[in-house]
Order: sequence, then C-alpha cells, then structure tokens
Amino acid sequence: MRRRNGYAAVHRMAVRGSSGRAHASLPFPEPLSGNRKRTGMSGRRAPLAVLAVTVLTATALTVVASSDQLPAAQAATSTFTPAADTFVDSSAAGTNYGTSGQIGVDGSPTKRAFLKFAVSGTSGTVTSAKLRIHTDDVSGAQSPSGGAFRATTNTSWAETGVTWNSQPAIDGASLGSLGSVARNAWYEVDVTSYVTGNGTFSIAITSTSSDGADYDSRESGTTAPQLVITSGTTPPPGDPVLVGAGDIADSGSGDSATAALLDNIGGTVFTTGDNVYENGTSGEFNSYYNPTWGRHKARTKPSPGNHDYNTSGASGYYGYFGSVAGPSGRGYYSYDIGNWHVVSLNSNISMSAGSAQEQWLRADLAASTKPCTAAYWHHPLFTSGANHAPSTATRPLFQALYDNNADLVLFGHNHQYERFAPQNPTGGLDTARGIRTFVAGMGGASHYGFGTIKPNSEARNNDTHGVLKLTLHSNSFDWQFVPEAGRSYTDSGSTNCH
Amino acid sequence: MTTRTRLAITALAAILLAAVAVGYTKLSAAPESNVAAGGVIGPRLQVLSNGRLSTVSRTDPCGPREVSEQLCDRAYAAAGTVACLRPVGALKSGELAVLDAELHEQRTVPLTGFPNRARVSASGRMVAWTLFVDGHSYAANGFSTSTGILDTRTGALVTSLEEFVPDRAADTNFWGVTFAADDNRFYATMSTGGHRYLVEGDFAARSVKPVQDNVECPSLSPDGTRIAYKAAIDGDPQRGWRLSVLDLATKRITPLAETRSVDDQPAWLDDHDVAYGIQRGDGVNDVWTVPADGTGSARVLVPEANSPAPLG
Repeated sequence: MRRRNGYAAVHRMAVRGSSGRAHASLPFPEPLSGNRKRTGMSGRRAPLAVLAVTVLTATALTVVASSDQLPAAQAATSTFTPAADTFVDSSAAGTNYGTSGQIGVDGSPTKRAFLKFAVSGTSGTVTSAKLRIHTDDVSGAQSPSGGAFRATTNTSWAETGVTWNSQPAIDGASLGSLGSVARNAWYEVDVTSYVTGNGTFSIAITSTSSDGADYDSRESGTTAPQLVITSGTTPPPGDPVLVGAGDIADSGSGDSATAALLDNIGGTVFTTGDNVYENGTSGEFNSYYNPTWGRHKARTKPSPGNHDYNTSGASGYYGYFGSVAGPSGRGYYSYDIGNWHVVSLNSNISMSAGSAQEQWLRADLAASTKPCTAAYWHHPLFTSGANHAPSTATRPLFQALYDNNADLVLFGHNHQYERFAPQNPTGGLDTARGIRTFVAGMGGASHYGFGTIKPNSEARNNDTHGVLKLTLHSNSFDWQFVPEAGRSYTDSGSTNCH
Repeated sequence: MTTRTRLAITALAAILLAAVAVGYTKLSAAPESNVAAGGVIGPRLQVLSNGRLSTVSRTDPCGPREVSEQLCDRAYAAAGTVACLRPVGALKSGELAVLDAELHEQRTVPLTGFPNRARVSASGRMVAWTLFVDGHSYAANGFSTSTGILDTRTGALVTSLEEFVPDRAADTNFWGVTFAADDNRFYATMSTGGHRYLVEGDFAARSVKPVQDNVECPSLSPDGTRIAYKAAIDGDPQRGWRLSVLDLATKRITPLAETRSVDDQPAWLDDHDVAYGIQRGDGVNDVWTVPADGTGSARVLVPEANSPAPLG
C-alpha cells in the first residue's frame, strides 16, 4: 500500500491557496519624507536622500522593491485588504457608513474608524505586519493628525451594522499614531505587535484633532487599506494533528470529497456527529460511511449525532465503531494526544448539571494533567445557523470545560462551518479564559443557510465541504479549514492554551 | 511589475499633491473633513442589517443607513406599520411585534418557531407571518410551518391559517401571505400532497381556494394584477426556485432575469421592480432587485441586508 506523506502535501496546498487569495507582494518603499508624510509614533523623518531616490523613476522604485525582497527568499509576503471597514460619527449616532468609499477620523464631531482583516494562509513566524492606509483625494482629507491606532477585542462587528451607538469598545493595545497627513498619500503603521499570525484582527483609529483626516475605504478599490504581512516559512513542526468534521455520509458525493482530504492528512480523526444519514442504521454505515470515512476508521474517535440516534440506542453507531466509541449507549470518553487531553461527548443524552455525563466530565477533567484541553459533540451551543438554534441543553458540559480551563470545543449539527472567538458559557467574549468554538458541520451533507449572525462569530462558510485540521502544539493550536478539491475557501489561525 | 509602477506613480503623485495641498492649507483655513454625515432623507427602504431594523435611502440605497436597536429575524412595513418577528431570546420565546413608524411597540403576539416571512398590507392594517415549526427548509421533507394573520384595527387574530381548512389533510401547511388592497382578500401558499398551491383567501369568510400549482411565497403587485413568487424548478424544491411573475388575469408566467435560486418572498418596490434577499457563502445577505417583466438583469440594491420593504 502506498501512502503519501499527508502532512507535507496539505502544507504545500495551503501555501498555494494563500498566494492565490492574497495578491502579490508589494514591499512598501522607505517612508516618504518631509513634513507632509510621517509614519509611526515618533514622527521621525527619513533622510531626504530617500525621498530623492523614491521619486526618481518608476524603474528605480522597482529596483528598490526587488532588492528589498532578496534576503526574503525564505519569507513570504501577503497583502490583505480589509474584510470590513467603516466609521462612526457622534453627530449621527444611529447612522452606519459601512458602504462608504471613505473612513473618517475626527475630534469634533467625533469620528472613529474601524478596520478588520482576516489573515489566513500565512505560515511560520510573522516578522512584519504593516497597516497601510491612503488618504482620500479630496479637499479636506488632510489633517494635522492622522489619528491613533489601537486594537479592539471585538473582532466580529459587522461593517453595515456598526454605528456610534453600537461601536466596538476600543480596548486593545495601542499600535501607534500618525502625525500630519496629506491628501492622496499612503501612510503606514507597524502593527507587528498585534498581528502575530493567522486570525481575525480589528483596529480602530481615533483622533482628537478638530481637523479630521479622511482615508479611502475598502470600497475605493486600488487605494483600499492594506495589511502587508511578511512571515518566515519555518518548517511546520511535527506536532500531532486532530482532523475531522461532522454531518458526513449520505448518498451524495460530499462525503467522498472530504474522505479524500483525510487520505492526505495524518493524525487522529474526530467526528462531530451525524456520521451517517438518514437514520444511523448498520446498513447506512456500511453503504455510506464505510466506503468513505470508513477508510480511516482505525484512527477515528467519533461522537454521535441525532441522526445516529434515529436508530434506537444508536445501535448502528455503536455496532460500527465498537469500543472506540466508548461504552455502548453511553458514548462519552476521553483520550490524550501529546500535550492535549481530548474529550468526546454525547449531546443526545442527558447533559444537565449533576447528570452522569456531566459528573463524569468534571472528574475526567480534574484527573487530566495535560496543559491543553479540547472537547467535541454534536449539538452546538454557539451557532448562527438558520436550521438549528443554539442547544442550551449542552451548556452544563461547556460550563464544566470552562471551569477546568479548556481551550477548544467543536460542534456539528448545522451543515456549515463557523468559527467563534473565545467565549464564556453564556456567549460573552472572554479573551482570558474563554473557549474558542467551531461548528464543523461541513463533512459532506448538503449545506444549510445562516440566520442572523451571532456576536463573536468570526468566520463562516456554507458553500464548501471540507475538514477542520487542528495542529496540537505543546501550548497552543493551529486551525485550518481544508476545502474539498476544486474549492478555495479556507480559514486558519492560532490560539494559545490557557 | 505594473503594480509596482502604479505604486511608484501613486507615491510620486502623492508627493506632488501633498505639496499642493500644503500650499492650499497655508492660504485658507483648514477645510473640514468632508466625509458624509447625517441621516437618511427622502423616500426610504426598510431592511434588516444582520437582524437590526434599518432604513436606507431609496435613491442611494448603498449609502449611509439608519440602524436601530430593534432586533428582528424578519420584518416588513407599510403605511406606518412595521411587522417585526423578534428572535428567540435567552429567557423568552419569539414574538411578532407590531411597531409604528417611530418603532414604538403597539402590540405583540407570542409565537413559537423560526421566523421566516412577514408582510403588512398596503394600508398598514393587516399583518401576516410565517414561522418554521419543524424543520427549517422549504426544500426538505417533513417540515411544518405556522402562518397567522392579525387585523390591527379590530384585533382579530388568526394564529394558524389551517383553521380556514377544517377538513384539511394532515400534511397541510401554509406560508407566505400577501394582502390585496381591500384588507380582506389575501394570497398565500398552501402545500399538501407534495404540491405547493397559490391560494386566494377571504379573511372575513375564513376561507381559502386554490388558484394555481407550483407557486410559493406570493407577493401581490401594488396594482393588484400580478403575483411575484418563487417557482420550484420542474416542481421540485430540491432543485431550487426561479423567481417568476404570474399575471392573474391571463395566468401567463414570466420567469424573471434572476437565474440563481431565490428562496425568499419577493417585495415589490413599485409596479415594475421586485427586491429579494440572496445569501453569500459567509452567511451575509444582500438585497437584490430585478425587473418584474423578465427583462434586464439582477443587481445589488442594498449590500449586506435582507428583508426589504419599500417605505414612503
């Protein structure tokens, strides 16, 4: 039997995917000098000679740019345009300007700008992250103060929803500020301290100057804001992989497409329930699951869904997976991978506080000595899906995990992919102890729609089947949505363990 | 290479224009920022911005929008009556909220299920809604819906149109009500036996009668002559729906220029154009519009919005 080195294959694919999405590297020339253009907090002026070189000719600039890339043979530069940008205005507190071609900052009346970037496809350490913004080419765009740049904890705000009344709190790290800005010019702020890898990043710009600055928004096209990221292509460490999805096998072709992905990804396979449709019978497991995901049965750690339980006692599920699925009819169990403790739970039986499952979970977590913890089950506590509302019955399980400083929870049930920021059990953003959650219901069944998008939802997709690949580092994890062949959607990032 | 050249030119232009700008600044008081501020004026459209009741300008629907704090999963409005199907909260189930033009609550009706359709008669008097009770997709088997009508003038409340068919089959479901100008006649979808019929109803007489097969989510034109709706392709909802218009007098069907599957109850912007929502792969919706006579092409009317309703 030939086996490809799955890890390397997928890694190469991810790199190709990222270069296809982000446009080509565009190293920013040395900051243009003079009192009309400053970068960074210090307002330090670059030597006049740089200005002279920069304005020589386009060819000269090209040479500068190319030589700038030479030592970066081992590095990759990606440029991202905002996933969202808007501004709010204290004098029109209920008005949203998300579709405007401009974003303004001002001290009176107060205008604040918000930009959000979805960074994915970078690998290795981020060595440089630069926010580039362009002042609008209109009278009045210039300002003695380009504004102060600061991260916001809330990264799930919606471009067409944010108003002065509902603006995200500007509560993150200070990233720098711009001095005087001219009309129709590019400016740059170093945000390397904030953008440290893949993920979703939100930056607010404020100004105390009564003569505000206007920048071009993402709607403006070529002068849209940019996030330019340079990262080293450090070889991926050989840390263990947990990969899988839920809502998987039926008479369609989605299950075959996602099983083919598993053929090239090593590690442990998880499932978040509804392993087979329609009723979880032994016949369906043999007809639909076994020829597809069944190829990886020996390394699979499943969890059951409501369709598995359409057969009384989920006997088809327990019969097919055997003892690996935990005691028959109980369905919850745990195991360790590297520095991680992983728990597979059963959201089709009682989960209430004091239930056998909840008590077992608390004891299991208390006994674990691993620094990082993941768990998965079928019914989502957090989801924006239109077809199934959040399952509040699962909250006691989530509470037990939260109480024990768990790091990651995976769901299924809604046939789609969704990533949430770390939250507490009641859905509040919690960057200190919150648990990052995913709905990974993209395993093969036909997709569902989304309803109103819930707070703290950071990424969504419902037109691509795929698997969620988690690389379990010693004190963090990387996530990556790996799409079926022929599709391009992806989503990746990293989160540290508590 | 060309991108770099462009960057170089941009940088050069920036320096030159900056110099000009500084010269200008020295000659005049610093001009104020000119980013548009202020509210939405003139004729408006009501939409939902990710679940928040909002209004945009009819003439500049892509421009600034007023975003209220009212949360609705589906909404409609006419003549100063706003119907808002509120989402299920942590501690309470969903409800219909009838609001006035200033969004002050006039009445609520508790409802169970996933909000799906809402409509207000042109006079603002009659309000209708549809929720999914079991299942959540018109393309799936085994779903059930709950559709009701409220007369805001008399307070008469019909919580389920199934009451209008006493001898109905067990699989009977109603959805997608639209009202005629007399505030008594209405049209809706009634499904039974694997077919989805356009029915014409009489609210006072508590009756419905079938009109045409394979018509879902009807929407009566302002002039009362045509029904815009979604037609299951080859009568099979699993194949998607084609936005179409039925002429009630001639029974002629015109497929509209929107060729993507549309799962929405269209809204007439006027007697010539309809609007509807389409969801992107990331769950964000856009309101699109297309001519109602089969000509032209579909275009985005309001980005990042759904549940459109024309306001005066």
